[in-house]
Amino acid sequence: MSEIKKIQSKGTLLIDRKKVKGTMVAGDTSASFVDNKGNTLAQFAYSNLKTLRNTRHGGMSSTVNVTLTNGTGYSFMLVDGLKIYNTIDKNWVDKPVRAYSRAEELRRLAELRGEKVQTVKKHLVKRRHPNRSVAGDIGIYFLLAVVALAMAFPLIFAVGSALKPLDELFRFPPTVLPQHPTLDNFSDLLVTMGQSWVPFSRYLTNTVLITFLGTFGHLIIASMAAFVLAKYDFPGGRLFFNVVVTALMFSGYVTGIPNYVIMSKLHMIDTYWALLLPAFAAPIGLFMMKQFMEGLPTALIEAAHIDGASEFRIFWSIVMPNVKPAWLTVIIFSVQSLWNNSAATIIYSEAKKTLVYALQQIQAGGIARTGQAAAVTVVVMAIPIIIFVLSQSQILETMASSGIKD
Amino acid sequence: MNNVQTGSFGKRYLTMRADKLRYDWAKAKRMKVCYLFLAPYAILFFTFFILPICTSIFYSFTYYNILEAPRFVGFQNYINLVLQDDVFLTSIKNTFVIAVITGPVGYILSFMFAWFINELPKWLRAIAVVIFYAPSIAGNAYSIFSILFRGDAYGYLNSMLLNLGFIDAPILWLTDPRYIMPVLIVVILWMSMGTGFLSFVAGFQGIDKSMYEAGYVDGIRNRWQELYYITLPSMKPMLLFGAVMSITSAFNVCDVPRALAGYPSTDYAARTIVTHLFDYGFSRFEMGYASAIATLLFLVMILCKKFISAALEKVGT
Repeated sequence: MSEIKKIQSKGTLLIDRKKVKGTMVAGDTSASFVDNKGNTLAQFAYSNLKTLRNTRHGGMSSTVNVTLTNGTGYSFMLVDGLKIYNTIDKNWVDKPVRAYSRAEELRRLAELRGEKVQTVKKHLVKRRHPNRSVAGDIGIYFLLAVVALAMAFPLIFAVGSALKPLDELFRFPPTVLPQHPTLDNFSDLLVTMGQSWVPFSRYLTNTVLITFLGTFGHLIIASMAAFVLAKYDFPGGRLFFNVVVTALMFSGYVTGIPNYVIMSKLHMIDTYWALLLPAFAAPIGLFMMKQFMEGLPTALIEAAHIDGASEFRIFWSIVMPNVKPAWLTVIIFSVQSLWNNSAATIIYSEAKKTLVYALQQIQAGGIARTGQAAAVTVVVMAIPIIIFVLSQSQILETMASSGIKD
Repeated sequence: MNNVQTGSFGKRYLTMRADKLRYDWAKAKRMKVCYLFLAPYAILFFTFFILPICTSIFYSFTYYNILEAPRFVGFQNYINLVLQDDVFLTSIKNTFVIAVITGPVGYILSFMFAWFINELPKWLRAIAVVIFYAPSIAGNAYSIFSILFRGDAYGYLNSMLLNLGFIDAPILWLTDPRYIMPVLIVVILWMSMGTGFLSFVAGFQGIDKSMYEAGYVDGIRNRWQELYYITLPSMKPMLLFGAVMSITSAFNVCDVPRALAGYPSTDYAARTIVTHLFDYGFSRFEMGYASAIATLLFLVMILCKKFISAALEKVGT
């Protein structure tokens, strides 16, 4: 039997649906919840403990549900960590209570209902384990540092060039970072765009509109299809999905020529429909969505069925709120392709051209526009990168279910 | 006697098929709401992804310039491609050099760096993922390489080599046929940490870590054994997804050579199948010919995918 240290964890206690902030203190014979003023609000001796269940919400917060032998129950919401010890075990185990992830909790509920549960997504756990040599670690860190520098260099160079005044752009030898950083290139860019026949704001509006509408429509349409493909077994569904997986390989170029012909037959050339409709049906979005939705417990949907909800209601108010991480992934892929789409072959009218197209025209302006071209590059690359930085963790959570099972 | 048996077997088979069809039809009718949900996507998908492939195959047997109705020419387009079109052969050679180098190398690098990144602490991992993934989503950021590899002394690489005394005259990196391909390959590799890479990173994080503990107990002693016996087998689906993504990008190289080496490039040294297709489709409007190129490219990609999924079956066994 080992000595147990006093364990503290900040959190909230739910009393009559009111949340009280305080600290959970777990000693060696009992645990108690103390509010910020020092009053003990709840206390239980380990000997009275019937069940103790620790459910993780993602990130570091978790709920500890305690039931005592006399029937009293406590629900603690801990914000920093899972630091409460398991003492139900007779052979006093000196290790934290196993934390249950949200997925496992949903699965348990499903099993209680007698539902056979499909694959449940494993939570992204921090990994620490043996089989590691120090020399290997050093080697990996060194290699990663060198390659990361090489990967970042062109991007840093692009940002550096965009901030260089004209004389530094043509200095010999060239420098990576500007000595006298200036935003002249960006303001010149605005001047150039302002002088063009179609105002700059027009290009910007076009692109933002296309990106927004295309992404929104794609998210809804692809999610609807993904929902039935993931959760219902209907004739033809599996075949359809296999075709979509193969279609992941159709790049815009392979289908570009016949697409042009089809669009001209449909009289869509030189309208935004020619950009939007194919974007709505992008295979990658459906693929990601479907793979992620497979992780949702079927019990969730069945329960709603029994309550009499319509399919659309199930989709809209049960499935969609539960796949928010996948939204972001679908959004970033869609934004990335729409934002970078210059649509040179299908949009002819100058007033309908996209921002990237206009910017490429400036970039093609030769030596005199070198500074502005660098500014253009920075403007174009910034949006997708910023979106990715902001949504990285959710995107990775979705990508965890991205595999193709053959 | 034999005949009777096969006959009855055939009949039984047919009734079985018919039963199956009837059963499926009943099920489909019962689940018609599923088709309603699928319909908007399916219609668009069919129109802009399936139909183009079919029409592409159809047009590849015709002469078609959009203005006149397509005229059937049999295999003439394919024969011309292989026997007459020297530039096409150059483009095949270039595409295969690019695909063979950047495809597998990009794939292996993506996997390797995802593996290494997984060993980092959490906060560092987030930064590393952004750095490695950024080039592939950074729009046309690759155009910055036209400054790095510029042919005059102001080009970054040239000036560095000049200063160090390795060369005494600037090298025309992007216009000299000898250097175009290596430069393109470097740029494409730089951009190769794409969707597949992200999938790998996520796949590594999703592996149940108790499997590694179990492996340790069973006698696995270093990270290579761990990689081969535990990690790779549990990541097969991601590996296949990554392979599909890297085949796609390796065979569809088009924007990078067009932006860096010019269009057309010197001596067609940076001509790829897709730039060739683009040339015939959108500059010369020979849609039939371009469709033949697209059809060939598509066939090659499908074969590649079949081959890779067969190879991945054997991993970790």
